[in-house]
Amino acid sequence: MFFAGFDEKIANLQAQIHTHETQLNSLKRQLATVEFEAAQSSIQQRPPTYPSTSSASHTAYENHDPHDMSFGFPEDWQAETLAALSASNPPALQRWPLGKEEYKRYGRQLIMPEVGLKGQLALKASKVLIVGAGGLGCPAAAYLAGAGVGTLGLVDGDTVEESNLHRQIMHGTGRVGMGKVNSAIVGLTSLNPNVKYVPHRAHLTAESSLDIVDQYDLVLDCTDNPASRYLISDTCVLLSKPLVSASALRTDGQLMVLNNPPRPPGDSSGGPCYRCVFPKPPPPESVTSCGEGGILGPVVGVMGVLQALEAIKIISSGSLKLGTSDKEMKNHTNGNSAKDSTAQPPSLLMFSAFSPQPFRTIRLRSRKLSCPACSAQATITSETLLSGSLDYVQFCGTTHPVQILNAKERISATEYAAVREEEVVLKEMSFAQPPGHVLVDVREKVQWELAALDGAINIPFSKIASTKVPIKADEMGSKTPNRVGVESEAFWLQELRSLPTDQTMFVVCRLGNDSQLAVRKFKELGLDHDGTRAIKDIQNGLLAWRRDVDTDFPDY
Amino acid sequence: MASAKAPANHFSVLYFAAASSFTSKNSEHLKAPLKASELFAALERQYPGFKEKVLNSCALTVNLQYVDLDEEGDRNITIQEGDEVAIIPPVSSG
Repeated sequence: MFFAGFDEKIANLQAQIHTHETQLNSLKRQLATVEFEAAQSSIQQRPPTYPSTSSASHTAYENHDPHDMSFGFPEDWQAETLAALSASNPPALQRWPLGKEEYKRYGRQLIMPEVGLKGQLALKASKVLIVGAGGLGCPAAAYLAGAGVGTLGLVDGDTVEESNLHRQIMHGTGRVGMGKVNSAIVGLTSLNPNVKYVPHRAHLTAESSLDIVDQYDLVLDCTDNPASRYLISDTCVLLSKPLVSASALRTDGQLMVLNNPPRPPGDSSGGPCYRCVFPKPPPPESVTSCGEGGILGPVVGVMGVLQALEAIKIISSGSLKLGTSDKEMKNHTNGNSAKDSTAQPPSLLMFSAFSPQPFRTIRLRSRKLSCPACSAQATITSETLLSGSLDYVQFCGTTHPVQILNAKERISATEYAAVREEEVVLKEMSFAQPPGHVLVDVREKVQWELAALDGAINIPFSKIASTKVPIKADEMGSKTPNRVGVESEAFWLQELRSLPTDQTMFVVCRLGNDSQLAVRKFKELGLDHDGTRAIKDIQNGLLAWRRDVDTDFPDY
Repeated sequence: MASAKAPANHFSVLYFAAASSFTSKNSEHLKAPLKASELFAALERQYPGFKEKVLNSCALTVNLQYVDLDEEGDRNITIQEGDEVAIIPPVSSG
């Protein structure tokens, strides 16, 4: 009785905390949206802060961002100064090539011979497109915005998820659920409000890519799939834009500067394109995403930062014809081919974070003679791209969820929960022990250690997949699987063979694909004892278990 | 990466990304000399399914130089004792 009062108080407080947390999250989301809108409206309202030294439109932002405690001058002071600078003095009479605040902000890179005034003006005049605002795009965008590129375009159709935050550093907890492009612009505006940010809130497609890329001088491929990589590369070749391409998975990364110098298809002095290096896409079932394979934040971060560095090197070297769309470029045949020769020979930088030699540089070839995109025999044109006759998704192939078992070989998570329940009841009610069942969890050990179901045993799928099926029994004239001539059987297999054959075997994994392949393999290995033992797959694995049975099971 | 020097009459092969997952190795030593055009077939014998699932889309390098197996000149390159070969699958995620 005495404790009942406490219980009630505790429950009451917990309920209050829950209500306030929900409210707080909603407020954070609203704040992020308003911050974004504020950033957007200041693009439109604000007159140019600094004298424009180039054709690039250069627009300043007001310092709206409440997170930014250090940036900028007092607004009234700034407005006064600006009025004095830009209204009374026409740009031609401007004393210094950069604005006062720009000298300060970019001072540490301005005093380097690699950048200098010329490099900074080139950065300011440049328009860079970042495709993908994720693990590569976030750090790349941050450093390019910080360095003072004039215009930064961002392409992405995704929204921010909690599982992105460990590596996608321009997003934030309060912006989960917001579009990635909008979220990144909030963060970038806080970092440097003097850059013009252009949102492209959809994934790049064959229909849209030419129009979008044509508005920029240089492209960063920060995407996460083969189809986008080929599309972006083809588009950059067609529009003569250099491309800085990077990728990362688990502990490895790759970086290439492609189509540099940027030359039209058929010009063998141009740099190789993505197709020259990787002419054939990997088979779709072998393509691993960061969601499946995992990714370490600093690994993808390093690659994104290197992309920003390569972009800054190209822009500040002055080799690009800035602010000219491809159409204009064709009218300016005077070109600057002499400067193009300063482009470094094409290379592929490989990063292996856990290797004693983490960086390796591979010297690439020039354009491939038979390349369908950039060689003299090129078949990919603006027309084929726009007509949709090049199906990038089909070229790279698509995977379908595994579906190799019949209905009898599968069981839903709810049905399996009932099996477990029933066994508990039977054990409590009678002295006779029910035969019970075996639950085999085929996730890799590292995932198994995160969380697993009680009573399960772990046999990682990689071990199952690499175990060879011995020659079929009947081919050897014997009923039992013949193990003669096979080196000692895998330990996991011996372990499963030693289990009582009247126990049903259930197989589970994270999503329900590997578990089906495992059921098939177990049967090929004779673990079903010619049908004596039932072996069943738990449909959609632990995903379904969490969804339908135990919502507390960790979602990772 | 165990890129220890290859023993006499051998060269090293380094496996990256998907190639490393498929072979469960970061590197190994193979018998030299071997023609570049014969490398994938030799690896396929050792790891059935390797060619179809991984090698066909990979970049191949010998001593940090890209080798284009579609070109006659490169196909005839002989991998020599002590050479370092790398199998580089495209990584596309990010």
